[in-house]
Amino acid sequence: MCLGVPGQVMEIRQVDGLSMATVDFGGTRRDVCLAYVPEAKVGDFVVVHVGFAISIVSEAEARETRELLEEIASFPEA
Amino acid sequence: MKFVDEYRQAAPVHALLAEIRRTVKRPWVLMEICGGQTHAILRYGLDQLLPPEIELVHGPGCPVCVTPLEQVDKALAIAALPGVTFTSYGDMLRVPGSGRDLFSVRAAGGDVRVVYSPLDAIHLAQANPDRQIVFFAIGFETTAPANAMSVLQAERLELTNFSLLVSHVRVPPAIHAILGAPGNRVEGFLAAGHVCAVMGYHEYPPIAERYHVPVVVTGFEPVDLLRGVLATVRQLEAGRETR
Repeated sequence: MCLGVPGQVMEIRQVDGLSMATVDFGGTRRDVCLAYVPEAKVGDFVVVHVGFAISIVSEAEARETRELLEEIASFPEA
Repeated sequence: MKFVDEYRQAAPVHALLAEIRRTVKRPWVLMEICGGQTHAILRYGLDQLLPPEIELVHGPGCPVCVTPLEQVDKALAIAALPGVTFTSYGDMLRVPGSGRDLFSVRAAGGDVRVVYSPLDAIHLAQANPDRQIVFFAIGFETTAPANAMSVLQAERLELTNFSLLVSHVRVPPAIHAILGAPGNRVEGFLAAGHVCAVMGYHEYPPIAERYHVPVVVTGFEPVDLLRGVLATVRQLEAGRETR
């Protein structure tokens, strides 16, 4: 319950009036409710918390963060 | 796992630690808000890897830990009622009330079930119309949307056998209580990323201004946390002369 975990939306369907998705977490798949991210598409990565997607991971922001990490990794060690 | 593994790499972890060591000139007390952050800090030994000048105090951001005793006692009483299926996030099952915990209620014959999502409790209500399904709706801001959706869904499905025992708390009042307490030693906060995914950041700048403490929002992986510590100590080191 403590974490938001990123997973990839594999398929989307309507169940009892709610938008539900099968989300892949590095091999494990779970049903996730997309009600709070209605713009999420198949292929998007979403942050999932207690069975609900609470945000969509922006590829652009993730790329910026990755580049920042690579820059940090190149700092000289003390 | 994409968007996770790269935040667990040793190279950026060690580079961040080196930069933190270079930046820190005097002792600082930092608090991480969330249980998930504490778990990652301890699991990866970050508290031991950080320079000794940095003291990490573990915050009250675990709803399991801060759920009031009387709410747990209510849960125990409800779970023991015949005809009730009591559903809860798993972490709550071992939390003791005045006498026992939900696990022991289950052992004594109570119908207590762990659910991962509040929608699982809704499914149980649909599948068991002869039982009263009660969901223990605990948490901070992060679980609030999920818990609330179970209420909307129960209404949509016209369920008459679904109810919630609610015990919700918010992060900013907890921060105010800590910073306003006499004898407070916390000088900077690592706030939780998933809380901010739900609430945004707007409640933190007033806190930062009022108490002159940096609040840095982080994720839950070692690189996230160390990047947050670095940002916090940079602000503290830069701001100390102007206090």
